[in-house]
Amino acid sequence: MEEDEFLGEKTFQHYCAEFIKHSQQIGDGWEWRTSKDCSDGYMCKIHFQIKNGTVVSYPGTSTHVQTCLPMEEALELPLDDSEVTEATAATEVIKYEYHVLYSCSYQVPVLYFRASFLDGRPFSLKDIWEGVHECYKTRLQQGPWDTITQQEHPILGQPFFVLHPCKTNEFMTPVLKNSRKINSTWTCLCFHLFPRNVNYITSWLSIVGPVVGLNLPLSYARAASQNE
Amino acid sequence: MAEQPEAVLPLPPSGAADGEGPTDVSPGTATPEPPSSAAVSPGTEEPAGDTKKKIDILLKAVGDTPIMKTKKWAVERTRTIQGLIDFIKKFLKLVASEQLFIYVNQSFAPSPDQEVGTLYECFGSDGKLVLHYCKSQAWG
Repeated sequence: MEEDEFLGEKTFQHYCAEFIKHSQQIGDGWEWRTSKDCSDGYMCKIHFQIKNGTVVSYPGTSTHVQTCLPMEEALELPLDDSEVTEATAATEVIKYEYHVLYSCSYQVPVLYFRASFLDGRPFSLKDIWEGVHECYKTRLQQGPWDTITQQEHPILGQPFFVLHPCKTNEFMTPVLKNSRKINSTWTCLCFHLFPRNVNYITSWLSIVGPVVGLNLPLSYARAASQNE
Repeated sequence: MAEQPEAVLPLPPSGAADGEGPTDVSPGTATPEPPSSAAVSPGTEEPAGDTKKKIDILLKAVGDTPIMKTKKWAVERTRTIQGLIDFIKKFLKLVASEQLFIYVNQSFAPSPDQEVGTLYECFGSDGKLVLHYCKSQAWG
């Protein structure tokens, strides 16, 4: 069987740094946070979204753009705007938080996330499910408890939902192997061979993100192929 | 080979309907969700001058994923990645529990709502968009 593509922690941090560099260029809102003793860290992004089904339109904005522009500035309008018939209450706005941590046991990145209404009420797992893209629902519903679980955030100690990492290597390995055939490679600090022009974190997040409502702008794909 | 109703048939030269209604002539594309066969057709006979509505996509299999017999397709610009995934899954007869991922630049998975026309603008070269596809049991 093919060798799995494990990711060492230093390499994880390297890819996160590259990822954040591009995020800063396009204002996508990702940042790096370290634990109190600075021994480890994670990537973090917060974004605000109007709850599914309520479409609030104001000039120049569409729901498609939400991944490219932070919604915070646009939110000042609907709360007082009398033209808004659906999203009138603050409770209709949802705050999503996404954290990318490194799992030492699985040697892969892991996506932690949580959501809450602006008044602080947390999203339940059921609410999260409603936000899962249609194309993933069938598969996940066959075994939801295997895939999205609630766990304590390793650094913050607060409850988060987690997309289980046990299958990460299964979908990352073919992609990386294929890229290695096409591009030249580099040996990382953990002595794994990675394809050039591929950012592991970018690829991984582009795959798992949409499952929980996180879509990466396309410019990340070009940035990844220009790096290294 | 051509058993499935969704399987795309070669474009008839005169544009006559092949049971699924006209596939080339859809000014404005009024129907919200045309059957996937209407939006995806083998690229071999697509006239070059029709590139406004459809773009050429070259599909490449990754890993152990079955290779599609027809690799080159002409796809309407507004077709989403999700629509293309559904089409390929049906074409390859994958079961519902199998995920199929599509990548641009070999390693980036565009979000399901992304339109192929946009991807072509960003990543197309030599008049086509190369997409890699990979089947996986990603979760569970």
